Amino acid sequence: MLELNNVEVIYSDVILALKGVSITVREGQCVALLGGNGAGKSTTLKAISGTLKSEDGKVSAGSIILNGKPVQNLEASDVVKNGLIHVMEGRRVLRHLTSEQNLIVGGHMAPNATELKHRLDHVYSLMPRLADLRSRTAGFMSGGEQQLLLIGRAMMARPRIIVIDEPSLGLAPMMIRDVYEVLKQLKAQGTTFFLVEQNSAAALSIADYAYVMENGRIVLDGPADKLAENEDVKEFYLGVSASGERKSYRDIKHYRRRKRWLG
Amino acid sequence: MVYFVNDIITGALIGLLYALVAMGFVVIYRASKVFNFAQGELVIIGGFIVWFTTLQAGLSLWLSIPLSLLLAGFVGYLIERIFLTKLIGESVFSMVMVTVGLLILLRGFVLLLFGPAVRPFPVIFPLKPLFLGDMLIPLNLLIGGIITIVAAAGLSWFFNRTRPGLRMTAVAEDHVVASSMGISVKSSIAFAWVLGAILSTVGAMIFLSGKSLTFLASDIGFAALPVALFAGLESIGGLILAGVIIGIVQSLTTNYLDPVIGGSLGSVVPYIIMLAILLIRPTGLFGWRTIERV
Repeated sequence: MLELNNVEVIYSDVILALKGVSITVREGQCVALLGGNGAGKSTTLKAISGTLKSEDGKVSAGSIILNGKPVQNLEASDVVKNGLIHVMEGRRVLRHLTSEQNLIVGGHMAPNATELKHRLDHVYSLMPRLADLRSRTAGFMSGGEQQLLLIGRAMMARPRIIVIDEPSLGLAPMMIRDVYEVLKQLKAQGTTFFLVEQNSAAALSIADYAYVMENGRIVLDGPADKLAENEDVKEFYLGVSASGERKSYRDIKHYRRRKRWLG
Repeated sequence: MVYFVNDIITGALIGLLYALVAMGFVVIYRASKVFNFAQGELVIIGGFIVWFTTLQAGLSLWLSIPLSLLLAGFVGYLIERIFLTKLIGESVFSMVMVTVGLLILLRGFVLLLFGPAVRPFPVIFPLKPLFLGDMLIPLNLLIGGIITIVAAAGLSWFFNRTRPGLRMTAVAEDHVVASSMGISVKSSIAFAWVLGAILSTVGAMIFLSGKSLTFLASDIGFAALPVALFAGLESIGGLILAGVIIGIVQSLTTNYLDPVIGGSLGSVVPYIIMLAILLIRPTGLFGWRTIERV
């Protein structure tokens, strides 16, 4: 369904942000991309969705195949027409529109009003909270509500694959649980996801397969349950030591990385 | 008392004309975040198109008016395609500077093509005033006012209730988010320029009906500027209130204050109101206020 083959991304013709990234997402799968700040996770998503141009970036090598068609360096609006929706990080709702207007914009490609209504009803059935907030100005919703709205907005386009950037960023644990509950329901309904997260525990709880990224390269990949058991992933991304204790932030901060996977 | 009420009504109607021209500013600003300094020039381009199709080509008004609106829309589209489409994604400042260049270019173009001569403009709306008791109301302004209110209601409905309008509103909020949802930012901005040019041409028809046409008529663009900023650059409905307030204050100042002080405060007062409101409320009366989560 989605295939990245040796993708390189360069910003302003100077900064090489991705260095030969290869990722495969199959239909119905949820694939997670894990990594720290600046690893290149968001750049990977922007390369896929065609939103790199707004930051003077471009795919300089490799190919991105979406549903059998090459989409590297296509306009973002054309990538959407190929069945992919990008839920950007930073909860970028249309702040001055109401919650329902945001959803209608998301479903702007629906063939007719009946279908649009049908899609709205589907979103509201999955996220009843959004139905209660349909007249609320999106900018005044809470962080968790905005994240749900973004997922709903993406669903309105009826995409074949949703790529989500940091859905748990800046949310309270209760809200993270709610957001992931919705993602789990969507996954159960057969939606394909490509999920980028720093919250590795949450991402691995839902993912079928996962990749770990550092400095613009994929350094580790495997089935999510196997990666969750990997000692390096546990130490570097889940904050759990080999003996099973949770590490404090101070421990992690002073931790001398062995970087096993980098040899 | 009758004169006072008459001045208020006339002022309100002139204010609505300003609001119509300001609607062009707002439509373009909403889509591209660009303040089009050449809006007045779009008015004279529209004026010359109407003049050409009606008086030069000799077409009847029923034919020349829709044809003029079509041609004006096409000019708006061409301007966007030639001068602005390549700048999408660049800084807003660059795009605004292009509109300043456009102002000079279009004015020069009109002078080159039609010369500085004063030309008669066709009578599109009846010239005779409407008598209401002792009151005398200019019929062309009254019809113009009705057109402005209908246009504002229609555009508000379009931007808030229809899918194409909401798409344009999404572009107004955030180009990157809009394109990530499959909305063509380029098409939305091009459509906004088409709409802006059409609105300017309607403004030209009301403003110039039965009067004379020169390139100096573009000054109405600057007269409409305070209305757009007073209302807030994203609000179409707000333009009606802002236009009426500014028109009334200007009319009363011109008729009652100017004779006393012996100056022309009336022509300055809209800008004084604009500066005052910008100091108190920088986004205008109904403009989008920045919503930041902290």
